[in-house]
Amino acid sequence: MKFDTVIIGGGLAGLTAGICLQKARRTTAVISTGQSALHFFSGAFETLGNDARTIELFGEAGIRLHYREGWRLMPLGSFREATLSLEDIRFFEERKVGRKALILNFLGYSDFFPEFIAEGLRSTGTACRTGILRIPEVEVLRLSPSEVRSVHIARAMDKVWEKVVQEIRLLHRDEDVIILPQVFGLSDPTVPGQLQGAVPAKVIFAGTLPPSVPGIRTQWQLRRRYEVLGGTFLLGDEAREAVFDGPVLKQILTRNLGAHPLEADHFILASGSFFSKGLSSSPTGIREPLFGLDVSASSDRNAWYDADFHADQPYMGFGVLTDSRLHALKDGRPLPNLFAAGSILGATRPELGSGAGLAIRSAFAITDFLTA
Amino acid sequence: MKNNEFDVIIIGGGITGAGTQRDCAMRGLRTLLIERSDIATGATGRNHGLLHSGARYAVHDGESARECIRENRILRHIAAHCVEETEGLFISLPEDDPSYQQTFISRCLEAGIEARAIDPAEAIRIEPSVNPALTGAVVVPDGSVDPFRLCAANMLDSKLRGGQVVLYTEVTGFVREGDAITGVRTRNVQTGEERTYYAPVTVNAAGIWGQKMADLAGVPLRMFPAKGSLLVFAHRINNVVLNRCRKPSNADILVPGDTVCVIGTTSTRIPFEECDHVAVTPDEVNLLISEGAKLAPSLASTRILRAYAGVRPLVSADNDPSGRNISRGIVCLDHEQRDGLKGFVTITGGKLMTYRLMAEMATDVVCRKLGVERSCETASTPLPGSEGKSLRDVAEKIWENPTTAQKAMTGRLGSNAARLKTEDRYDQALVCECEEVTAGEIESAIERLDITTLTDLRRRTRLGMGTCQGQLCTCRAAHLLAVARGCAQKEREDMRDFLSERWKGCLPIGWGDTLREAEYTQWVYKHVLGL
Repeated sequence: MKFDTVIIGGGLAGLTAGICLQKARRTTAVISTGQSALHFFSGAFETLGNDARTIELFGEAGIRLHYREGWRLMPLGSFREATLSLEDIRFFEERKVGRKALILNFLGYSDFFPEFIAEGLRSTGTACRTGILRIPEVEVLRLSPSEVRSVHIARAMDKVWEKVVQEIRLLHRDEDVIILPQVFGLSDPTVPGQLQGAVPAKVIFAGTLPPSVPGIRTQWQLRRRYEVLGGTFLLGDEAREAVFDGPVLKQILTRNLGAHPLEADHFILASGSFFSKGLSSSPTGIREPLFGLDVSASSDRNAWYDADFHADQPYMGFGVLTDSRLHALKDGRPLPNLFAAGSILGATRPELGSGAGLAIRSAFAITDFLTA
Repeated sequence: MKNNEFDVIIIGGGITGAGTQRDCAMRGLRTLLIERSDIATGATGRNHGLLHSGARYAVHDGESARECIRENRILRHIAAHCVEETEGLFISLPEDDPSYQQTFISRCLEAGIEARAIDPAEAIRIEPSVNPALTGAVVVPDGSVDPFRLCAANMLDSKLRGGQVVLYTEVTGFVREGDAITGVRTRNVQTGEERTYYAPVTVNAAGIWGQKMADLAGVPLRMFPAKGSLLVFAHRINNVVLNRCRKPSNADILVPGDTVCVIGTTSTRIPFEECDHVAVTPDEVNLLISEGAKLAPSLASTRILRAYAGVRPLVSADNDPSGRNISRGIVCLDHEQRDGLKGFVTITGGKLMTYRLMAEMATDVVCRKLGVERSCETASTPLPGSEGKSLRDVAEKIWENPTTAQKAMTGRLGSNAARLKTEDRYDQALVCECEEVTAGEIESAIERLDITTLTDLRRRTRLGMGTCQGQLCTCRAAHLLAVARGCAQKEREDMRDFLSERWKGCLPIGWGDTLREAEYTQWVYKHVLGL
């Protein structure tokens, strides 16, 4: 199989690159193990700023982003500065959500934290009351003790979110704010808006423990957009081996395709950091496992960590080294047709930001270069 | 009698203190136990969790060996829910002295320890993970024991018998009347509150910190701290305890316990001042892995969960200040006879295995001083959780079709599991998925088991001790505590401390999947939750 570009990794960086290239009428394939950092995406594109190009690109995929100066509410009741975000995230001009808040949780759902939110909001002058939602379709999930997680509830809410509206009407008194866990709109992004329209107070969907419902939805939407544009999304597959001709990467062999290699003129490595296995570590060193690329990492293990868990951890800044065009380096020399994008870059390119900002900026930079 | 007056005060909430309090309480004394931190935070919670058969000591210390096998049999009976009857193998490798095995077996038998030689094929059949290069093996009645659970069960029994326990309270001085200690001055380390308690006898069971207590009381006691480092692996490689059949050395015991297995230990003398801040070094990690792999080769490629270190409370056996005559045996000092100080007893040295015997010895001295004549019954009276019926009977009574989580709970709590909240499905929701700790078990623990912090909760339930090291359960459990106690602000700090404490044990072995999990935890708490 021959493509213009093969992309390794189906997270934010890989899908953004794939969409940009398909829009420019290049043929591409994305190799995705399935999970990515989008599964614990908070919904905020930190370090990206008010980027019109991102807003347009995501808008075409049906993902509405917004940006306003202000604050957003975090899942433990603190506030953080607003940034470009999914429309699921509400912004506030000051660090205060309103006069009185009613915080509602599903009975037995332990990945949402009303008590922490209440304590945080009270300290900013908002009176808080907590309440319990009893929805039969959620109760039934508890037959299996490990299935009361965000996605399970979200799947039920796709069908019965109106029952939550009825419950809210019973529980609501005079609060001007209602806070719910972020488990609405998994398959239909219009649900949060419809729910807001049906209740008599300002609704805030506050974050839960992973998996992130808006994150999973974003990945689905980006993937659908990519496939609609003609991209080949190889789900549940994994790049296993690389075939070079001198410094030029010719083929990738994958687990599922066996003897049928993926050929391309260009390749983009967007396989993530340690968690996604884009980087791997052993007692003797840190490496990029697929190509053995150059990595910015100390060989002294003691320099990988800060003893204080809450301090910045040096290992999280390690990444694949690149030239100014994001060509990956191997043995000190740039490979002519292999690029690195997203969190596999670590903090090697601080001007590109980190997290979602780094994923999108690096994908834009590489695809602009390839389509120029 | 006032509420700050007791018959005996015990300093130290490790297994020795907990055992001594129970023995005293069983002999009808009004007891108070004072601990500066949580239960089992010193050497009690920082060892292998090995139920020694005594075989390890048989060749060079027959007395310790005899003590061990006697206590081994007693613990299987009185603490059945804390013990796993795994058996143990002492394996010989090609580099070991081949004549050692015969000496070993005859010394074991002399000490009353069953020891049976088997051929290598049989050893591999019993324990498939064992090094296949072995040249011989001896089966002995080793097992594993959960020291947290054992300590908690002793304390629970004392409380059922009217004993009092104050945690997070340090001893700042003693009340002296002439040549006698008659009380203890304390300060709560969390609130700063100062209180004085009175009793005609005080027992110093503070382990390595016993030296400080003796200093405060004005009597000489020289401890010789020896650090021992251990590694916990993410799953059980072995189901039978593996030892080397040779002179005891570093990293030659691999013990399966609960969901994990543990290799250890090293032994390094450290200055007394370092006792509160021991850390595992990279050299120790390398040594533990390379030596451990000689027992079970798959250990070299198995994920390591944590590294930890404890301090052995070794003590000089007599008044020898040089430390040349260090004993690993039990040292029970009646300071009235030794130093002319009345009302003060030190019990130290010894090991987890012999805690009950140490408690008996200390309690005998206390009773002699108080003129109490009741004899010790701890060798025959089961601890709470190990009474009566088999665990299977208990489980069946509570649950028609136990889930794996319920089996895990019965394993942790024994017959106490019958008192857990299980009435509705909410109580069965999993908080810690690795160790299958339910919301009901957490809530029962918060209500009944003297919990101040998440780390206290971990010691009593195994919360956060599994493969993910508290990734998601930290926040879930903190929220349950915040709801139960109405202390959300404190729990936010508690969560930070718990994550720091988990990281401390991951850092020395931070590579591979451990580093992946650590990175994920960073993302969840810093970026998703905004802690």
